[in-house]
Amino acid sequence: MTQRETWLAWLFAAPALLLVAVFMYYPMVGTFIESLYSTSFISPVPKLEGLAAYRRILADPAFATIVWNSLVWTVGVVVLQNLAGFGAALLLNQKLPGQGIMRSLVLLPWVLPGVVAAILWRFMYDPQLGLINSVLISLGLSDHGVAWLAEPQTAMASAIVAAVWKGFPFSCIVYLAALQTVDQEQVEAATIDGAGPVRRLFDVVLPGMRDVIVINFILTTILTFNYFDMIWVLTRGGPQNATHIFPTRIYELGFGQFRFGEAAVYGVFSILVLALMITLYFIVQRRALRRKPA
Amino acid sequence: MNQSFNARRAGLLALNIVLGLVILAPFFWMVSVSLKPAAEPFAIPARLWPQDPTLDNYINAFRPEFRTYFVNSVIVSLLTVVITVSLALFAAYAFTRSQFRLLTVAMTLVIVAQMFPASAIIIPIYKLMRSADLLNTYTSLVLAYVTVTLPVAIWMLRGFMANLPLTLEEAAAIDGAGPLRTFIEIIVPLCRPGIVATSVFVLIVTWQEFLFALSFTSTKDMRTLPVGMNDFIGQYGIRYGELMASSVLISLPVIVIFFLLQRQFVAGLTAGAVKG
Repeated sequence: MTQRETWLAWLFAAPALLLVAVFMYYPMVGTFIESLYSTSFISPVPKLEGLAAYRRILADPAFATIVWNSLVWTVGVVVLQNLAGFGAALLLNQKLPGQGIMRSLVLLPWVLPGVVAAILWRFMYDPQLGLINSVLISLGLSDHGVAWLAEPQTAMASAIVAAVWKGFPFSCIVYLAALQTVDQEQVEAATIDGAGPVRRLFDVVLPGMRDVIVINFILTTILTFNYFDMIWVLTRGGPQNATHIFPTRIYELGFGQFRFGEAAVYGVFSILVLALMITLYFIVQRRALRRKPA
Repeated sequence: MNQSFNARRAGLLALNIVLGLVILAPFFWMVSVSLKPAAEPFAIPARLWPQDPTLDNYINAFRPEFRTYFVNSVIVSLLTVVITVSLALFAAYAFTRSQFRLLTVAMTLVIVAQMFPASAIIIPIYKLMRSADLLNTYTSLVLAYVTVTLPVAIWMLRGFMANLPLTLEEAAAIDGAGPLRTFIEIIVPLCRPGIVATSVFVLIVTWQEFLFALSFTSTKDMRTLPVGMNDFIGQYGIRYGELMASSVLISLPVIVIFFLLQRQFVAGLTAGAVKG
């Protein structure tokens, strides 16, 4: 490659590099710096206070609640979304009438704008007017309807169900594409050896898709951990912090109470979690590449 | 043998119907409530389908604020799609064709940025926009949206470009075409399926973006549809029919575009995801 071409390559890449550096990498450093300063609604001028905000937050019982909620939320959504997505992909991979229409329909929840999906589910869960309670009441399973999102015991589970509904189509489409790359000769060989569908799934199909599955798990974990819209519109983190996770807490502290420093501390913890996931992603990807030299 | 085959088929079909119901039930409820006359959502237990369907809710939902939000969303989304896809084409080309190590590392850092938590970096970005006096402008939203969609767009287009043979450029060079002309006249047209897929993806992401729009806009005339919808929840009080009608109106454009272009879109999306 000549010097002129190298120069041109940099020129081509420059706008993208510049934007991402200014609006993503710089703010990431900015979050660390921000976390060392304190601001509030009453004293909006930033004041350097070192690690005081970290100490304050670690001592705050709400922090433990939010860590726990984030864990339940992320694990719940990721596991259910991938299981549902994989199950749906297995189903859509069968030869059945109407399969073309089903493959189109399955992405519908994912295309639906997040805020609309959240409003829709808020409405589905409504104690008097929601579809879920209407069905439960007409089946005689409940006599007055459950306030799914207003009870601390059911709010998180309800939010998880809504998020899984919105997110599983994406996993499904990725798994469906991966299923179509599974070596059919191996599947047939296993069938001839007398392996039933379950054996074939565990011995041939799943090992063949291992890399796609692991990478999909990591990606959905990152997306779910950072998922703001659904919980903010469903519950704003309530009732009694029962559904507050990192993103909603950051928004509430920062833009609700103008405590930018404390919001940034939560931001720093999110970035650390993210860094861990990205490292994992690269380790897995490198291993996958080594296994099948392209 | 044949009988068990049929039983299996019936079971699978039944599962397919269940899956369809799970996907469609909330949509059905949205449309059903949006067609109910003012008092009907309150019938207990709720009726599955309105007794006298009406379009009143749609007429009421299409009020001036809604139109403003709609126009804002269209402007911001279209600008974002055009700018992101153009910049991503250039960047993806540099990325796939350059042997230069430092550039490869820099582009990898760009692609990794697609995983960044928007909420964790929102405060510094907000302050950046505020100090540049860009809050409540299209510019702030487009800048943010272009930045967050670029990494995925580059990643998707890279998949397409990597499959184009190098002989294309060699032939063009023999014909005397410079690199820029080769790129615009030969490479870009060949990437058309990738451009379609990437544009649909960027559109879907931008059309629904909530956090940046919520943080950067505070005046009614600058809000986008998702933020406007969030405001409606309070304002509409118990006018559920209108809320659902607005939901249908917001969802329709992306759903229509998605269905028109879904084949290219799914191919483009999964090509990258499966290859990793």
